[in-house]
Amino acid sequence: MTVTPTNAKVGDPLPELTFGPISRTTLALYAGTSGDHNPIHIDLDFAKNAGMDDVFAHGMLSMAQLGRLATDWAGQDRMRALSTRFTAITPVGATLTCSGTVVDRHEEHGRVLLTVKLAAHIDDGTQTLRGEAKICGTP
Amino acid sequence: MGIFNRSTKGHVTPPIEVTLERGPLAFFSETIGESDPVYLDPEAAQAAGHPDILAPATYAVVVGTFADQIARRKGLPDILELINGDLRVLLHGTEAYTYHDPMFAGDVVTVENEVTDFTDAKGGKLEIAHITTRITHPMRGLLVEATRGIIHRLG
Repeated sequence: MTVTPTNAKVGDPLPELTFGPISRTTLALYAGTSGDHNPIHIDLDFAKNAGMDDVFAHGMLSMAQLGRLATDWAGQDRMRALSTRFTAITPVGATLTCSGTVVDRHEEHGRVLLTVKLAAHIDDGTQTLRGEAKICGTP
Repeated sequence: MGIFNRSTKGHVTPPIEVTLERGPLAFFSETIGESDPVYLDPEAAQAAGHPDILAPATYAVVVGTFADQIARRKGLPDILELINGDLRVLLHGTEAYTYHDPMFAGDVVTVENEVTDFTDAKGGKLEIAHITTRITHPMRGLLVEATRGIIHRLG
């Protein structure tokens, strides 16, 4: 049986999502569309002057993937909360693998609230984001 | 010694009105790899019972950034300028959303930022600014509350 928000049990995984490889073009487009023009993500000269070897991806581009993972599964109308901690820099060229697992199912006053633990990892296994989604599981 | 201007703790920015334009919203959805048509195609969104295309889960950060751009055009400091953020040593530490009602293309919302706190971590090697952004609709009330931790790498 397909796991859905209404039947999900603790321990159930959500379908994985991959994104990438994240090119410089992707970063340029994300800078433009998000309004985050911080040059550390798009301007190699600026990044080197700031002591970095290269530009690196916007954390919010990765969080957007955790958001997609959650809304692909649950739909926007069931989303109650989404939170992320950025744990490592995502280099240019990385491919993200995003995963989620139901870690709590809580019923209160006839409403069901799921907690889904989320994470993003890059090719070498480094975790770049960890987070959590709160999703309505009421039928 | 930190870089953030800690005297701004408690400051609330003047409300800024932001229109969620359909084209830019669909472009954002495309760029993040969104393929669900409710985020891309107005007809599909309307067929699913929505007034227009939906804003993806992290679009609140973009609405906040648009409010910053509008503030700058009005000659007001944006949030980073207000707290004296330094892009050379700045990292995004945390981001969190509480969803109250969805955002759609065509919505005209009000954005307000509050500088809630400054903290230190890793024995003073990091300083963190804590910002809360509230996005409100005139009829539907609070749509999204966003909290953000912005880090300076020091020394």
